[in-house]
Amino acid sequence: MTNNTFLQIFLLVNVFIIGGLVAIAARHAYAHFHPHPLEIAEKIHRQSPEAHLTQAMKEHLVEISEKHFQTVLNRSVVELQHSLKSTSARLDKQLNRLGADIITDEMKRYHNDLEQLRKQAEYVISNAQKDITLHNTDLKAQLEKRQVELQAKQDEDIKIAKQRIIQDLDTKLSDAIASFLTETLQHNVDLGAQNAYLTDMLEVHKAEIIKGIIDED
Amino acid sequence: MKINLPNNVASSQDLTDLILEIQDYARWFEHESIKVKVSIKHVSKSPILSPSATQLIHESESKQPLTMQKLDEILSLLKNYSNNSPTITFTLAAPATNDIKLSLVDWCRKNILPNTLVNFKFNSSLLGGMVVHCGSHIFDWSFRRQILESRDRFPEVLRNV
Repeated sequence: MTNNTFLQIFLLVNVFIIGGLVAIAARHAYAHFHPHPLEIAEKIHRQSPEAHLTQAMKEHLVEISEKHFQTVLNRSVVELQHSLKSTSARLDKQLNRLGADIITDEMKRYHNDLEQLRKQAEYVISNAQKDITLHNTDLKAQLEKRQVELQAKQDEDIKIAKQRIIQDLDTKLSDAIASFLTETLQHNVDLGAQNAYLTDMLEVHKAEIIKGIIDED
Repeated sequence: MKINLPNNVASSQDLTDLILEIQDYARWFEHESIKVKVSIKHVSKSPILSPSATQLIHESESKQPLTMQKLDEILSLLKNYSNNSPTITFTLAAPATNDIKLSLVDWCRKNILPNTLVNFKFNSSLLGGMVVHCGSHIFDWSFRRQILESRDRFPEVLRNV
């Protein structure tokens, strides 16, 4: 901001100076080629004492004046050219320097931005890597937990299935034995041998039978 | 008057048969009494009675001579027993033998009520033991029931073999 402001001020001053010089040169040139009537009169008035000068003298004086004027004019032009050249050179130099400064600043800013972007990218990448690591750890933990749960569930299922199979097997075995006993024994009943057993059963359950009969009554 | 039913009159059917026999005998006894009254010498043959009926009539004759009134009392008592006595039904694994019947009837009449009526049925699937019905009460003490109840122990027993 500071360099730009200085450059602008400097350019404005130069333009002002050049404008002043051009205006002065133009005014002199205009005054030379188109003299003011008052000046002509004054000149005539001043020349009037010398009106008696000879024509050759006059011409000689005019020629000297013209030469002198031409010399002054040439010198002014040279000075103006020199000044313009110098100004141009300084302007070029200043512009180069400003350009270089601008480029340097821009490059510096660009490098800073790049560095900042790089750091930001590194930060983002680092965070992403941390997140990925964390996520991986989390996933791994969840996977292990799930695996343990599945293993436990599988063990439980296997245990249940095993118990069910054992239970089914026991049931079928019991049914087979019961069927075997009922099929085998039902044709070989000896009630005579059961007489004492039947009486004992009645004795054991006497109270229940009496209670049943009392309930019926 | 009180009558103790013989043990071989176990079921209500036996009691009904006994009542019919006594009724026949009472009818015959009435006819014979009338013949005696009108001096008719012809005596008809008395109906054939079962040992139970004979025992019952002899018991009633032992204290005082048998009369028609007494026979009516006996019939009335027997009908009363038939209608009001408690009934127990034993279901056995085979048709009950006479010894078994007498044994079980004797037990019931000694331990429950003297004139308890006992019915017998059989079901070979019981395998052994008995099922006792007292009205709406059923007591299953059959072998089949015991086997089925303890069938969960079979695998355990087999594992220990």
